[in-house]
Amino acid sequence: MTPIDDDAPPLDPAESLALIERERAQVGRDLSPDPRLMYWPWGIAWLVTFTLFFLRYGPDGRVFVDLPGWLPLVALAVCMIAAGIVTGVAGSRVSRRVMGPSNRQGAMYGISWSVAFTAFSVLFSQISDVLPEDKAGLLWAGGMVAVTGALHMAGAAIWNDRDMFILGSWTSLINIVGILAGPGWHSLIVAVAGGGGMMAAGLIGWLRQR
Amino acid sequence: MTDPKPMVTELDPVIHAQARLRVVSALSVLREDDRITFPQLQESLRMTAGNLSVHLRKLEDAQYVEVTKTHHGRTPATLVRLTRRGRLAFDEYTAALRALLNPQEEP
Repeated sequence: MTPIDDDAPPLDPAESLALIERERAQVGRDLSPDPRLMYWPWGIAWLVTFTLFFLRYGPDGRVFVDLPGWLPLVALAVCMIAAGIVTGVAGSRVSRRVMGPSNRQGAMYGISWSVAFTAFSVLFSQISDVLPEDKAGLLWAGGMVAVTGALHMAGAAIWNDRDMFILGSWTSLINIVGILAGPGWHSLIVAVAGGGGMMAAGLIGWLRQR
Repeated sequence: MTDPKPMVTELDPVIHAQARLRVVSALSVLREDDRITFPQLQESLRMTAGNLSVHLRKLEDAQYVEVTKTHHGRTPATLVRLTRRGRLAFDEYTAALRALLNPQEEP
């Protein structure tokens, strides 16, 4: 709390420009959610759950760790819901500070995620029965990671956010590599490179904000 | 742009006061037509409510900002936005500052 006196003497031009930049940076920080809260929950979710998938459903049907078959899927559901709650709360707390077109943009973007995931879930649930278990798993995981990568790239276009575009491109790229490598390998690649990418995005965003 | 080499005395007197320059700088971050809540603006600027109100009124008189009162459900909310005129004044002010700093770089 530095009281600013109305009659504070005008600063010299360099000080004024520095003051302007300081205030703009401060408000920019206050009006954007903490990147750590937006990315790390998803990074952790991917790291943990896709590692479990890899250990239980390895390449060529190998079982590295004999976990219960249902465990990776349940862990995935729990981690996704937890991550969704954390980012939802963090995002809405910040979005309440401003009213206007930005809120609508954010809402439309959020709805896009839900719609895309719902559509793919409905589609995959119709198809996965006719596929062998490992291919069905690859369809689900590969499809959902593809949506995530593409929506990050689209979000980057909305907010003109280069880092977000890099994250989306990276996610899309490693997903394709994983799909081509096959079931099992896809899980490992998404866990390490995908989850790691999200962790890095959160860290870089946070460092830039400070 | 206006005069390529403005003098100190030509800087916009409305936002030349340090406090109002801070307010306008903060508001300039908002995208056009977005409005920030008064408590958030106050928190970001670390000003008292009374102090901020006084400066907002002066900026309103110059038609640089627009203050609207609305309701979030039942709680009243005061929202602030920079007008087009305010944004223009801010852009000109920063351009003038840069020109003062680097007069030789002006075309």
